[in-house]
Amino acid sequence: MKLTLGEKAGQTAIVALLSLLCLSVLYPFLYMLAISLNEGADAARGGVYLWPRSFTLINYEIVLGNEVIRNSYWITIARTVVGTVCGMLVTLVAAFGLSYRGLPFRKGILGYILITMLFSGGLVPIYIQLHNLGLTNHFLVYIIPRMFSAWNMFVMLKFLQGIPEALVESAELDGAGPVRILFRIIVPLSKPMLAALGLFTAVGHWNDWFAGAFYVTDQSLIPVQTYLQQLLNASDLSAVMGSNTNQEALARGSQQNITLMSIKMAVVMVSALPILCVYPFLQKYFVKGVLIGSVKG
Amino acid sequence: MGRLYKYRWQYLMILPAVLLLFLFNYIPMAGIQIAFRDFQIGSSIWSSPWVGLDNFAFLQEPHFWVVVQNTLYISVLKFVFGFPAPILLALMINEVMHGGFKRFVQSVSYLPHFFSWIVVAYILQSLLTLDGGLVNELIGKAGGEPIFFLGSTEWFRPMIVASGLWKEVGWNTILYLAAITAIDPQLYEAAKVEGAGKWAQIRHITFPGILPTISIVLILSIPSLITVGMDQIYPMMNSANMEVSDVLDTYVLRSGLQQGYFGMATAVGLISSVIALFLVLLTNQTSRKINGEGLW
Repeated sequence: MKLTLGEKAGQTAIVALLSLLCLSVLYPFLYMLAISLNEGADAARGGVYLWPRSFTLINYEIVLGNEVIRNSYWITIARTVVGTVCGMLVTLVAAFGLSYRGLPFRKGILGYILITMLFSGGLVPIYIQLHNLGLTNHFLVYIIPRMFSAWNMFVMLKFLQGIPEALVESAELDGAGPVRILFRIIVPLSKPMLAALGLFTAVGHWNDWFAGAFYVTDQSLIPVQTYLQQLLNASDLSAVMGSNTNQEALARGSQQNITLMSIKMAVVMVSALPILCVYPFLQKYFVKGVLIGSVKG
Repeated sequence: MGRLYKYRWQYLMILPAVLLLFLFNYIPMAGIQIAFRDFQIGSSIWSSPWVGLDNFAFLQEPHFWVVVQNTLYISVLKFVFGFPAPILLALMINEVMHGGFKRFVQSVSYLPHFFSWIVVAYILQSLLTLDGGLVNELIGKAGGEPIFFLGSTEWFRPMIVASGLWKEVGWNTILYLAAITAIDPQLYEAAKVEGAGKWAQIRHITFPGILPTISIVLILSIPSLITVGMDQIYPMMNSANMEVSDVLDTYVLRSGLQQGYFGMATAVGLISSVIALFLVLLTNQTSRKINGEGLW
């Protein structure tokens, strides 16, 4: 295909602009990585842009030596796994039950669910309810209130209704009950949809800092994102130095002049790395997920 | 009864969802009465004394109206920049001829969507802080005066708009790119035969092709005008920029959960919930008129 001069110029301009966009996304991570791998006091002098000038792992040793950070990491992993499995299960099972068109009161139940998407009691009444249920300061506050997602339910319902009813009916004739039909027929057919919604649910759990910041006061229950939020406006290093089990690294750290910034960058990289690592493998699922969700439920 | 029994398994499957919504959505809705009561934590909502509209006294406070103004200001700004940007980006990505580069741009531009606003706040801090931030370092090298971006009332809104764009612009192209893929390639062939250039093809084929998607996205963004995303604002807020950064959601959060004015915070929340509901219903009506069908 031959390009005119104008088209060539247009191509070049577009490629240049898009390259700039990619750079703006990738560069901050590279910069933070470089700072986190550099001696703090040295980085503070400036001039570290792409790679560490005075390389050290001390920032990571101190961060990973901190009991609260390590613990918050386990909390994040636990809530992401448990929360995603429970959330997908409860929501899928409900969507499957509601996919039976002949179900008496089906419209009413759908309306009951829809209303919760339109109107909310607001932050304070929700907080009081969590408090009354004894969920504040409890690990389950991350799991139970998020176990059913109305939005995901409607996306699933839309998807399930696209599955030919004949498949379900023939299984029913063979004597299969609804539970068996769900796990033997529906789930295998819904894999791409489940993968996409599961991914979004998991990312939601991984990134949530709010519940940990306002529903929990016990530091041993906060997830990584809440820890990051607390550290964001910290004025000194006490939060990281306290309850640190890596005394040897601390001693070396003070010699190598760690700074608040270098430690912060190490913490944020530790929280972001898992997402950066799994991201390339999950791409094919989430684009599908957005498209399923965009179709009106 | 026979029919209900026939569906017993299905009801059992729906039951957990119904219970969860009752506990975490409907009981809090009933809890809105706190807005009209003098409630203290530890006492029962139902036995707290009624106080009429006492909790709505904030309506006379000037700061509340500043908060309303901030909310609208930020949400309108975010909309003005955030709505057209993904359309332009999708059109640009679509024009890329090199398939590998195109996929690379898509992958990279979706990436920030998966990071929390806390991580975004760290990125802003690492780039913009006064002591050792990259931007101020470069400004210093160029001989300029360092700027206190993070604690400035002038820079707060641009920071929120820009970081919001950075995080979501790529992600929001997905729908448009899918719509572009669905356009019949024969249209382009015919246009080429007629001698239409690239620009004419974009204007007369691609753009009209995604217009339905644009209108849906436009309609769906109406309800978000009242919620500016506390997730994004709260981490960037500090006492220095409070004057422009305090929005309805953060106001509720501070007065309710942090200062313990439960009644007043619930009242503020009630007002924004009612406005949000109104906007959603309005959206539904608009959608019915324009697209011939409602949202539900």
